[in-house]
Amino acid sequence: MRTMTSVDFILAGLGGQGILFMTKVLAYAAVDKGYKVMGAETHGMAQRGGSVVSHLRLGEVRSTLVRKGAGDVVLALEENEAYRNIPYLQAEGQLYANAAKSTFPREAVKSYLHKRGMVYRSVPASEIAVSLGAPMSANLALLGFFSAYQSHPVSYEELKTTVERISPEPFRAVNLKVLQSGYEQAAG
Amino acid sequence: MREEIFLGNGAVALGLLEGGCQVVTSYPGTPSSEILPEVVRLMKSQDLDTYVEWSTNEKVALDNAFAAAVSGKRAACCMKQVGLNVAADSLMSAAYMGTRGGFVIISCDDPGPHSSQTEQDTRFMARMAKVPVLDPSSPEEARAMAGLALELSEAFQIPFILRPAIRVCHARQNLEWGDLKGHGPKASFERDPGRWAATPRFRFLLHRELNHKLQEISLRFETLAPYNQHNLEPGKHYGVGIIAGGIPWSVVQDILSEEERRDVPVLKLGAPYPFPQGLVDTFMNACDRVLILEETDTLIEYLLRDQNRVLGRLSGDVPSEGELVPEVIYRVMDQVLKNHGLEGLRDSQDTTAGKLVEILELPIRKPTLCPGCPHRASFFAIRKARPKAIYTSDIGCYTLGLNLGAVDTCLDMGAGITMASGFYQSFHKDGVEQPIVATIGDSTFYHSGTAGLLNAVYNDARFILVVLDNQTTAMTGMQPTPGLGIRADGSRGNAVSLERVIAGCGVNFVEVIDPYDIQGMTALMKKAVQYVQRPDGGVAAIIARHPCVIAYKDQAVLQKKQVKVTEACVECNFCHERFECPALYKDEDLGRTAVNQALCVQCGVCMQICPKGAIVEA
Ligand code: SF4
Ligand code: SF4
Repeated sequence: MRTMTSVDFILAGLGGQGILFMTKVLAYAAVDKGYKVMGAETHGMAQRGGSVVSHLRLGEVRSTLVRKGAGDVVLALEENEAYRNIPYLQAEGQLYANAAKSTFPREAVKSYLHKRGMVYRSVPASEIAVSLGAPMSANLALLGFFSAYQSHPVSYEELKTTVERISPEPFRAVNLKVLQSGYEQAAG
Repeated sequence: MREEIFLGNGAVALGLLEGGCQVVTSYPGTPSSEILPEVVRLMKSQDLDTYVEWSTNEKVALDNAFAAAVSGKRAACCMKQVGLNVAADSLMSAAYMGTRGGFVIISCDDPGPHSSQTEQDTRFMARMAKVPVLDPSSPEEARAMAGLALELSEAFQIPFILRPAIRVCHARQNLEWGDLKGHGPKASFERDPGRWAATPRFRFLLHRELNHKLQEISLRFETLAPYNQHNLEPGKHYGVGIIAGGIPWSVVQDILSEEERRDVPVLKLGAPYPFPQGLVDTFMNACDRVLILEETDTLIEYLLRDQNRVLGRLSGDVPSEGELVPEVIYRVMDQVLKNHGLEGLRDSQDTTAGKLVEILELPIRKPTLCPGCPHRASFFAIRKARPKAIYTSDIGCYTLGLNLGAVDTCLDMGAGITMASGFYQSFHKDGVEQPIVATIGDSTFYHSGTAGLLNAVYNDARFILVVLDNQTTAMTGMQPTPGLGIRADGSRGNAVSLERVIAGCGVNFVEVIDPYDIQGMTALMKKAVQYVQRPDGGVAAIIARHPCVIAYKDQAVLQKKQVKVTEACVECNFCHERFECPALYKDEDLGRTAVNQALCVQCGVCMQICPKGAIVEA
């Protein structure tokens, strides 16, 4: 085990799914709590629908990238991107994916996750977002869902405050609704 | 003081403004593109009167900023690493001439590469030009180094290069910052032909002066803590030491502190050229072996005198291609420590995860043109009208025409045109009239299209040139082009008409069309073919003009058409292979193609392309 100096996130998905906004919400919520924030984003060619990965590190670190095998949490907005980023997780790391509960994760993956003591959870974030009339907001549904299980490093309430603050005015209300709906999915 | 999470490029912008930079020029290119917009954002928030411009290319950007520096102002120009190739001519000469006001060239590297045609190392350009270079290891350091570079440049009267790599440019870090002051000298110019217009005889003297400056600066770099600094304990000798700069230094620091290793000293070289020889010698003398971790190439390795004790790319200990991501550095360090009788790293790396992902055979998500992208329509029409052509293309979103079989070459900025004329002449020489269609974006055309086009017309090359005019620089994040006449700070400049520039290059066939009209575009292509083949013909230019659907969300699709796929679909795959709109997908349950309404922008173009007429208005 490595010494815990930071909480390391990988946020993954496809270009256009709002990975950068999801990172921003998490990062500002952490800054408001006094965390130091370091991270790395994907820009350029891959933003046209390719695989997008955003690294976010909270704590006393220097490198902007999470090392494979050392990450704490993967938040994936697409099922295949969730699998693709498993190598970032350390033993007992946590995998959250936007995917149907009944089919996630694939069998081959499941046994691996068990063997390494990893936690995995999925939520139909896209469906939630569509049902609330905000198809592009699956990112917030996933974030809300995640926060229902993990109040460290930031809690649901803290995320809510940040979403309220940094959402552009026309989307504020619906963003909050999607976040909450993701959160409630966990409870139910 | 306020706290904000800055993009690395924003931190660079902040450093420039804190350093009193009065003029900032740039040509966009990943990973450098956000520096200038961040300068604009910060200067507007503080009512500064900084002069900013999107220049037409990197050479133009460098020259303009250089003149500002010669006038005594602090100035900077920003570009990506391959952009510095375009500006190389200016850089080499500017090094000899020196500067009055602080002058910083910011050239952003792309180890990987993620969004570039090469992995070249700007530090080598600095070495070639004999210009000092700083290599930041975090956004915070990039900010500090931007200011330092301005200061040292002014003190030593020499241009400086700041080389942030992509993991600095596109990093995020929270920074505190306060009020920015607009200040600095008024522009002035003192004639000094021996310097500003030096002939070769004077150039010799300037070269001597430059060498002298470099000697002084290398002495300064010996003590440039915390950027050049080691943590040797006096009198102690070590088995292995590490020399690192930039992002690899940050990674090394994290690993050593995580593993609580105090037996491996580190020399940081954040200012690697001119080489701080004394500092490096001290470090080398205290270590049996030295591992070099630098991006992207082997600058420090080459500059070390005693190669026998050096472990790096030349000795095969460090990979020579690709990014030095943390897991790679971890592996290299672990191996080197073990190889030289030291304890390895303790966090054993799990390789089974990588194997798992391999077994899953996950689909590779290649980037693709957006739903409704006008380029897709253009490429479709081009292939339809000229199926056997060589498709020379260029750099931008439209390079993704690759997926549609409508892009065969992509060399560098402007080569869509120059390779078209080159191919034409080669085939023509053998008596073959090879069909050729060149594609180039509007911004790329303004950047470096005209010289090649003039040359093609002058030498009577024959090909069809399609300028994909989406009225923005899309790939790099929607910067304005000269065609719009909107400037970097949002103010109005003068729009430069693409039609007139092309005609001005001597092209007599210049037609404009909206590529959403695939039939119209195909017909126009055929007309162009005839013109190209006429004895008195020449280059035929078609401007395919339709705004980018991302940059102009509300204006790009004026007549929205909701589409659906009927039972007439026979699953021939034609639309997927030749058109590849991400909103069209194969619905396994229905057994045919369907429309993902969440992605569809209702451009209606796909209705024109289905051979079975199965895509119709809903
Ligand atoms: S950003 Fe614009 S130009 Fe680029 S692929 Fe998308 S629609 Fe096309
Ligand atoms: S209308 Fe057709 S081509 Fe246009 S975005 Fe929708 S599916 Fe794609």
